[in-house]
Amino acid sequence: MGENRTLLATRILLKALFPVMKVVVTDDPKMGKRFEGVSARVRFSVTGEAEPLGTDVVFEEGELSVDATMEGAPDVVFSFKTAEKFNAFMAGKPVIPGIRGWKRPGLIIKVVSLLLAMKILMPDARPKQEDKQRLKVKMIVYMITTALSQYNKGGDPEMSKWTGKQPDRIYQMSVDGEEIAAYVRVKAGKTKAGRGIYTRRRPFVHICFNGIEGALPVLLGDVEFVEALGRQMVTVEGSPEYAANLNDYMQRIQALIV
Amino acid sequence: MSEVTGTTWTVYDANSMSQAEIYGHVLCEIGDERKDVVGLTADLAKSTKIGLFGDKFPERFFNVGIAEQNLFGVAAGMALSGMTPFVSTMAAFASMRACEQVRTDICYQNLNCKIIATHGGISFGTAGSTHNAQEDVAIMRSFPNMTVIIPADGIETANAVRACVDWDGPVYIRVGRGFEPTWYDTEDYGFQIGKAVTVSEGTDITLICCGVTVLQAAEAAKVLKEEDGLSVRVLNLHTIKPLDEEAVLKAVLETRRVITFEEHNIYGGLGSAVADVIAESGKGCAFEKVGLPDAFSLVGYPEDLYAHYKLDTNGIIEKVREVMGRDFEEDEDWEDEV
Repeated sequence: MGENRTLLATRILLKALFPVMKVVVTDDPKMGKRFEGVSARVRFSVTGEAEPLGTDVVFEEGELSVDATMEGAPDVVFSFKTAEKFNAFMAGKPVIPGIRGWKRPGLIIKVVSLLLAMKILMPDARPKQEDKQRLKVKMIVYMITTALSQYNKGGDPEMSKWTGKQPDRIYQMSVDGEEIAAYVRVKAGKTKAGRGIYTRRRPFVHICFNGIEGALPVLLGDVEFVEALGRQMVTVEGSPEYAANLNDYMQRIQALIV
Repeated sequence: MSEVTGTTWTVYDANSMSQAEIYGHVLCEIGDERKDVVGLTADLAKSTKIGLFGDKFPERFFNVGIAEQNLFGVAAGMALSGMTPFVSTMAAFASMRACEQVRTDICYQNLNCKIIATHGGISFGTAGSTHNAQEDVAIMRSFPNMTVIIPADGIETANAVRACVDWDGPVYIRVGRGFEPTWYDTEDYGFQIGKAVTVSEGTDITLICCGVTVLQAAEAAKVLKEEDGLSVRVLNLHTIKPLDEEAVLKAVLETRRVITFEEHNIYGGLGSAVADVIAESGKGCAFEKVGLPDAFSLVGYPEDLYAHYKLDTNGIIEKVREVMGRDFEEDEDWEDEV
């Protein structure tokens, strides 16, 4: 049974978007310095739904991780009355969350700055600097692979049907010349995302972007996938039909969460 | 005339010629080019088609009578005298009746003796266990210096026979009875002794085949793509020794599921050779050997026997579906993701 589309979007944002915050803290020197030595637990929760939804962003000496169990005591809480409001907030729309934890105003400011930095993922964000372009590509590749897996785990009927008939397969994405790679493993209806190159065997489909300059226009939607193939901005090894299916699901996810 | 090898028959003729007939024709062509080539048989000139060579070069053809041990002893002597003997008899007789002579007279001295063994496997199924050769590959590949080739069809037989002329040392080429369908439509597909031929690319599973199973696996791969959406790699591993270990390991690493199909006892043939490579590599994969079980074969028409032993297209499809259901990955925790 699939979740409703709002809750499915919330699931994807919580499970796929939040882990990508780590990339910002790790790869953006300014942001890394901002969180240097910080130890805190920051909770994002949706209160008004039948089941509690949310995740904790945990900093340990500046190292960021995501804890979906929400078991520790939070230092700061960002709360949303509905999943819809949470989704709108994460899509950059004007929603003000409830905030608890004003004893640590500095931490709140830092977290807000981190959330603002996540806006680089928005389709209309067009970074000019090379390092920012690289950051955007890396975040999208990491996020989209996890999002694909979560889209299936959330029970999207079409994707469930698509994954359900497949044997154990790897769908790999990578950016040539960069250490940016992530994959989704599919097996008889189950999915799992991972980072890096899957080395245990050859992927069923490998979408390889030709550097950042090849990846960015495709991921921003400026160049159609088919056109990008013709212009050698991206190459696909393996089944072109299944690569097209994957691209289709990526677009559906984007439409769902933005 | 073939543009590739200059043969006097074409691929169209190949459809109406048996593997052995093609061998006979190719040997005649080689006989024109190489005066050191001689032909020998043990009263099977007609069945093995080496008689075509005998008709053309009677002065270079020797029928020793029903005396296989003598056949290989004579061939060894001719090789020591600077000739290149092509010896033809049935696979069962070459590998078992004349086992010691092949081993000690030919392999021990690493002589340039080329054995073209016909009626391999169960291709002469109605003749029964006395004439079946379901152990020959195991025997031959255990002999030092011996090269073992099982061509997929008549075209590949032609390539193998031509390639073996200048190949150093003894060679055992195992062909069927002669009614096997043709798979290749050209000789120009890159045949090399010791190098696997990729019949179809795939990433879900690899079918490693030799002999008649190549065509069946290629047909099965098409059906599995259409019906099951599977991406099936088919390797024609025509040379059992020396084995193309690189192609086997590539298949293991890239598809992690491997099935071997062969018209031979599952012990000691292609499957065992592939299993050795996999075991020594330490790499994991789902693996199965499909061939003749460790029992004397049933008696019957080859096509019925191939179907019974899962060596036909339908049997291969069935086996693939079975192996696709097996796990091979170490990590089965589907919740733990980034």
